Amino acid sequence: MADWLKPFKDFWERLRGAKAEATPFPEIFDQFQALLQDHQRVMELIADLGEKSGGEYIFDRKYLVDITNDLHTLLLHLVNSLNLIAGKRYMDLYATLDRVFLPLEAELRGRLSLSEEMPLAVPLSALPLDHPELTGGKANTLGRIIQSLKLPVPDGFVITTRANRRFLETNRLEERLHAWLESWAAGEMDEEQTARQIQYSILAGLLPRGVLHEIKQRAVPEGTAWAVRSSAYGEDGELTFAGLHETRLNVPPSKIPSACKEVLASLYSPAALSYRKEMGLVGEEAAMAVLCQETIDSRAAGVIHTLDLSDPTGNSLVIYASLGWGRTVVGGDSADRYVVEKDPPHRVKNMEVAAKERMFRPKSGGGEEEVPVPADLARQPALELEAIDTLVKWALSLERYFKRPQEIEWAQAQDGSLWLLQSRFMNIPRMELPREQDIYEVTSHYPVKIAGRGTVAHAGVGAGPVYQVYSDASLNRFPEGSVLVIRYTAPWLTPIVPKAAAIIAERGSAAGHLATIAREFRVPTLVGVEGASDLLKDGTMVTVDTKQRIIYEGRVKELLRYELVAAPAFEEAPEFRQLRRVLKRIAPLNLIDPAAPEFTPQGCQSVHDIIRFIHEKAVEELMDLPRFMKRFKGIKVWSLTSEVPIGLKILDLGGGIDPGAQGTKILAENITSLPLKALWSGVAAPGVWSTEPVPVDFKGMMSSLTKTRAEAPGSTTYAGFNLAVISDIYMNLHLRLGYHLNLIDARMHPEAQHNHIYFRFVGGVTDMTRRSRRAHLLAQILSKYQFKVDVKGDLVVARVLHLPQEEMAERLEVLGELIGFTRQLDIQLKTDEDIPQFLESFFQQHSPADKSPSL
Amino acid sequence: MSTEKLKILVLDDEPIVCKRLAPALEKLGFEVDTFTQSLEALHQIQETNYDIIITDLKMKGVDGMRFLQEAKTKNPATEVIVITGFATLETAKESFQKGVFDFIAKPFKLSEIQEVVTKVAAKIRGAKA
Repeated sequence: MADWLKPFKDFWERLRGAKAEATPFPEIFDQFQALLQDHQRVMELIADLGEKSGGEYIFDRKYLVDITNDLHTLLLHLVNSLNLIAGKRYMDLYATLDRVFLPLEAELRGRLSLSEEMPLAVPLSALPLDHPELTGGKANTLGRIIQSLKLPVPDGFVITTRANRRFLETNRLEERLHAWLESWAAGEMDEEQTARQIQYSILAGLLPRGVLHEIKQRAVPEGTAWAVRSSAYGEDGELTFAGLHETRLNVPPSKIPSACKEVLASLYSPAALSYRKEMGLVGEEAAMAVLCQETIDSRAAGVIHTLDLSDPTGNSLVIYASLGWGRTVVGGDSADRYVVEKDPPHRVKNMEVAAKERMFRPKSGGGEEEVPVPADLARQPALELEAIDTLVKWALSLERYFKRPQEIEWAQAQDGSLWLLQSRFMNIPRMELPREQDIYEVTSHYPVKIAGRGTVAHAGVGAGPVYQVYSDASLNRFPEGSVLVIRYTAPWLTPIVPKAAAIIAERGSAAGHLATIAREFRVPTLVGVEGASDLLKDGTMVTVDTKQRIIYEGRVKELLRYELVAAPAFEEAPEFRQLRRVLKRIAPLNLIDPAAPEFTPQGCQSVHDIIRFIHEKAVEELMDLPRFMKRFKGIKVWSLTSEVPIGLKILDLGGGIDPGAQGTKILAENITSLPLKALWSGVAAPGVWSTEPVPVDFKGMMSSLTKTRAEAPGSTTYAGFNLAVISDIYMNLHLRLGYHLNLIDARMHPEAQHNHIYFRFVGGVTDMTRRSRRAHLLAQILSKYQFKVDVKGDLVVARVLHLPQEEMAERLEVLGELIGFTRQLDIQLKTDEDIPQFLESFFQQHSPADKSPSL
Repeated sequence: MSTEKLKILVLDDEPIVCKRLAPALEKLGFEVDTFTQSLEALHQIQETNYDIIITDLKMKGVDGMRFLQEAKTKNPATEVIVITGFATLETAKESFQKGVFDFIAKPFKLSEIQEVVTKVAAKIRGAKA
């Protein structure tokens, strides 16, 4: 155990010694408050880490180590506090802490790569993106294209570098290989000799059983044809081994293992060896993964260059196309050449149709064959305009994402569908580029629209016409490559983030949900830019440089080119990769539903899960009022007297109730807790609380009659009490209304970054269909108010973060009204068609916080 | 702004710091040289006069405090900005006693250091004018 952990261990030992029952109430009370504070602090640290991944901050490894230690300390505090409050019923959480933090700390010491926990094979669709050392560069790029850009890539799997290493181990090849390479480096053997010996022993080796099993499981169904190629670490990244390693096409599943060995052996071909020597990589361990993908039987195929090397300052890209498989283009045969403008509407500037002589196609029984191009096709363009248009869009989004000019391989199947095969950084000879201009000098001549405003959520440069979005309707019309300008960073904007060249929001924080999404898709994003929607009119061409926080009018082409070819893409730096790997063990929230079977210490997968669990359980302890009051006779619990018959009990942690209040009964005006006050003004608003019973139709009635209380979620835990635990700026409220269970946890600090609302709604009196109908209605309403909403059956979980006090108050008031509004809604909502009508009636009374409430 | 560019030297043993700072400062119109080895940087300041030096404190070999002292002795007009992940009141005090212009704790925002550099550049230009 590390030294800094000792005080906690001591503390815990002392705690263990004491009897839980003996813990006096004031101490429990203090622990609960400390727990809330620690919880808040952890949330802030998580947000802080997320912000750092946006590129605006300069941080080093020490920062990651420090913050992980801080988190570990806070989590120990939290587990201690919970055990104190709950009479040591959560001792399992100590093991959970170890399970989450030990790998995290190993990751920071750099000891985790290629460890035993890494798989031998992974499907392309679920590649761990921040482990390029496991799957190699080429596969990593494809994984990103599939997961982030959602472009069609032929399905497949990767045999990992760990499988390769195991192959070397089981065949006792490692040392021999090393010896041969050494004598080659010392000049004792020539390239040819070395290559022959190494390749022979690799081809003679046996693939380990585990690897064979993985291949058999994944290369299905029988009868499919596979492309098997190398994916070396470093390949297609900064170094390009293009063409040096073997590719086997049209391989039947049974031949994949031998194709794999051939690909592995190609890592040691004479050409690959001398290339590595030239690049100074001989001493480096060659880490090779093997990529297996279903073969596309292509009618046409080719390559795209997103920078026209014959005219590097022009704003065009070039598509090369030929018939059959793409190797004629890659191999240098004559191909059609289309030069297309990168700006919309992507005019084809120039088209040269080549005289095509030969093509490659799959040979029956595996492999490929060369055939002459039929005479009638030889002088026809290989591509139609529509396909060109699609390829251009793909090329631009690839270049936007990878932030470097791209060389892209594509194929068009016999049925006309287009596929993306590969994308890598273009190799640009220095001489092709014009003399580097002084970037400061050039940009200073462009007119500036906005400078020095806002916070950077993701660093980068993007240009396009401004497009403002107010509602879902304009969402669908968002033109690819535009600059998205919005007032709020609402989660419903997520689908258009990957299409945006840049994002500018008037509100929101760099730790919010949209910022996280923008980082995932690497879209340059500025939040908190006051007045942006007035200053940036629809259709105006702008260039957004979030690294300098400047928005220029017009297209600053020199700056765009500078970013593309000169400035390093920080996202690929090892420090940022490490940060993202660390974040993956910290930030994701997997435990959403507290009633789910995995809502246990064992079910916690991330730091966020652990604190979510602790918070839920600590509150649950306090909410178990009957037991609680038995344990602590004499604690003060207020009762709220109101026209709204909720029967609310209030436990004040400090500053939540007017100090002048007497006795045990208070009125709404005695509430000084900001969140409860805001919520109550919604609950008690005129017309919201209709006490007349809603007529129950037959189906609804039957369902409510047959339902026993035990079936209602959470009924055993919170039975009979409506309780708010409050302070001046905090509220945790449990409301059971009929069969509905509402939970609201909210903080309204003067500084926006400390604020949140967490809302959970579950249960109901009718059948599941109606209850989930109501859940979807709630989700639609809440997302209009920028809540991030998750719906699972009839459970609704909504969160909103980091808005200023008054905007949090607005939303709590709406929640108060919603509680009244939806009280018996599932009975009234008979069909899905009823939803729009209810939405309309709600929005008629309440206008959402955005400019336009239109749906 | 004058056509004469101000020269900046960045010294930090974490390559990522140099890699990120250089383009951010070049875009503001400075000429930037970066070093990850303090010894190399020490040689460099014997050859070239820098207007601004941005240095880490804790490094292998010659540490930042000694480096900035050498730099100040060599050219008292050089303005120094300290960036460090080990920010304490003592190191801050010591830095300021040694005539440091500003002291920034890591991690910091690019915009933060851009602001400080712009400020110190204005001071240097004012003194030159």
